[in-house]
Amino acid sequence: MFPPAGLPLPGELLLITDELPSPADFLLHKLLADHLKHVRGSGTQTRCLVLATVADPARWKHIAAKSNVNLDQHVASQRLMFIDVLGRVQSGETLRPLYDIVQAELGKAAAEDEGRTLVILDDLSPLEWVGYTTLELARFSRALSAASRKANAALVIRHHTVTPGDPDDLLRHLLQLAAYHVDVRPLASGRSGAVSGEIALHAGACSTPTHQVKAIPRSSALQYRLTDAGATFFDKGTSAGVL
Amino acid sequence: MSSFKRRTTTKQAPTPVGARISPGATSSFITSTGIPSLDDILGGGLPLSCSMLTLAPDAHSAYGELVQKYFVAQGLACGQKVCIVDEGVDGFLSECMWTPGAASNPVPAPAADDEDEAKASGEDAKIKIAWRYEQMKQFQTTVPAQNQSSEDYCRVFDLTCRIPEDILKSAKSSGQLMSAPVQSEEDSRPGSSVLSALEKILAEHDQREGPSVPVRICVPCLGSAEWGDFTQQDICYFLLWMRNLLRRHPTACASISLPPHLCADSWGGPGWVQKLGWLVDASITLAAFTADPSLTAMFPSHHGMVHIHSLPAPTTLLSPSDKFSTLRGLSSSGENNLAFKCMRKRMVFETLHLDLEGGVGDRRTTPSSSASALNEAATSVHAAGLRPGDIAAAASGGAGAAIVVELEQVKTTVPQAGQSDKLETETPPATVKKLKAKKKVGFVSDRPDLYDF
Repeated sequence: MFPPAGLPLPGELLLITDELPSPADFLLHKLLADHLKHVRGSGTQTRCLVLATVADPARWKHIAAKSNVNLDQHVASQRLMFIDVLGRVQSGETLRPLYDIVQAELGKAAAEDEGRTLVILDDLSPLEWVGYTTLELARFSRALSAASRKANAALVIRHHTVTPGDPDDLLRHLLQLAAYHVDVRPLASGRSGAVSGEIALHAGACSTPTHQVKAIPRSSALQYRLTDAGATFFDKGTSAGVL
Repeated sequence: MSSFKRRTTTKQAPTPVGARISPGATSSFITSTGIPSLDDILGGGLPLSCSMLTLAPDAHSAYGELVQKYFVAQGLACGQKVCIVDEGVDGFLSECMWTPGAASNPVPAPAADDEDEAKASGEDAKIKIAWRYEQMKQFQTTVPAQNQSSEDYCRVFDLTCRIPEDILKSAKSSGQLMSAPVQSEEDSRPGSSVLSALEKILAEHDQREGPSVPVRICVPCLGSAEWGDFTQQDICYFLLWMRNLLRRHPTACASISLPPHLCADSWGGPGWVQKLGWLVDASITLAAFTADPSLTAMFPSHHGMVHIHSLPAPTTLLSPSDKFSTLRGLSSSGENNLAFKCMRKRMVFETLHLDLEGGVGDRRTTPSSSASALNEAATSVHAAGLRPGDIAAAASGGAGAAIVVELEQVKTTVPQAGQSDKLETETPPATVKKLKAKKKVGFVSDRPDLYDF
């Protein structure tokens, strides 16, 4: 039911925003597992880059194991790479070293003429909170999306919304770059045992009319419930807790 | 021969000291914070490799620090390594609580209630309960302390006891208790020297002891004056780096508090508390009532509200707390409101409920004071009525009939009794005054036999 078919579009940026009570981890894990299982994209060889500000490969592995994906195998065959963002840019004001690594990896993938590549940037916002300027981050994300577009790789960036209803400058920049924007929110009525949150899908500034991915407006947002293995999606008002 | 084979379990790492396997994820270990009800909120305990942030934005109380002291005391009691990052470590340690002395109090009750609570439950037993409700279990607002078998996992601490000096000394000499000083000078970024010191300690520990002994890192006051000029970005950097550090050393866990004025959005700008919640694994706010007298009046039995921002989920999508926490109660329906209180001997996290009958502050765990006053009054009326008169006079009516009247009518009936029976002119006026004094709002408390069918 979600994400719609073909959603991390090759060469485009998919922006995911979430809030503290409803983290979008489950979407990132689902995108990664689907990509490695060749559910999305037809290529036989797939590559995946995960850039994470909290370097926690163990968690990725444990959660992927729940959906029958053995990440160790993919790491060993060099089709999956975890990059510790904070370790790479530790000393310095610029994110250039990180960009260089990603670009080199994308170039390698393009040279080998492999199938599709997926780049996941897990959390852009902590970089802003630890002191990188909005300008630097906007430049970095622009360069990253340009590089992935060149290599025809799908790019997924996650950004945290800390002031709901009041988008920050970085989010405005990202919306200009994104083809689609997935907005994950908690329920307005507070935490519930039956419904974990709701998802809306908006078209971004860079979406082209040829893509034909149906947007999900906020008014009829899709609801989800987290389980051990992932999430189950259902339409508003049809959860087990309601019926 | 059966073709089924028992799947041999892979060799599992031994459980670290003072830890147990998380109920939600078999691959992660949890350890206690020292407060059983807080453990329940976290889903059994704080998982190793995770960091917990306790925010206490109220400047007049120190509940955040109290949680840190429990964390340290529990670490020392169960034999884990403890590393405190603070300036006045000795002062901090001297205020830590400890288990009640083994010699003086050999069998501490596992459900360690305060004496008054135990007495109250005794009184409860005397209340007559309608048969259909009698079978129901007692209404509970918190989780009980662990039973004896798992006592080592979470000790029962007593806030009136302090850590004995000799235990501190031996812990320091054996290296169980470490401290990292806060240096604010010659840092490229404030706090970075502390982080590198912690990294060194953890690396040494991993080499020497391996995963069998967990390390607890306690930062009681991150960003206070001793830390120098800490900005929002420095705090974010410290927390993010600490979280990465713990992921690299999965046998360690950390508990962090901020000084009160840094715990609110007013210091860090809009969304500050949310940011902090993203940068740690578990983040809770203890919002004490002390600053607001109206809240104190509204919830007289609690000391503050508990707000949960984020909860640890080290190896799963769903936090184990969502499934296993009794206090949060998410498994059945929506989330409960939580509050905390700090009694003479312990700190407790509880579910918050509005009072019965709306507006009466005291819980009916003891018979209401007006009911006992009535008994007392009734006996004195007995005495007044019967002392001078003979039993025959009482039996014939007259003064005897005045005994069973209700509280408000006593004043009028006693003079009547005096009139009808000329002998009893010396009825003491003092008892009449005593009867008038008691007045209660809310309950119809002058009828103790209301539920006596």
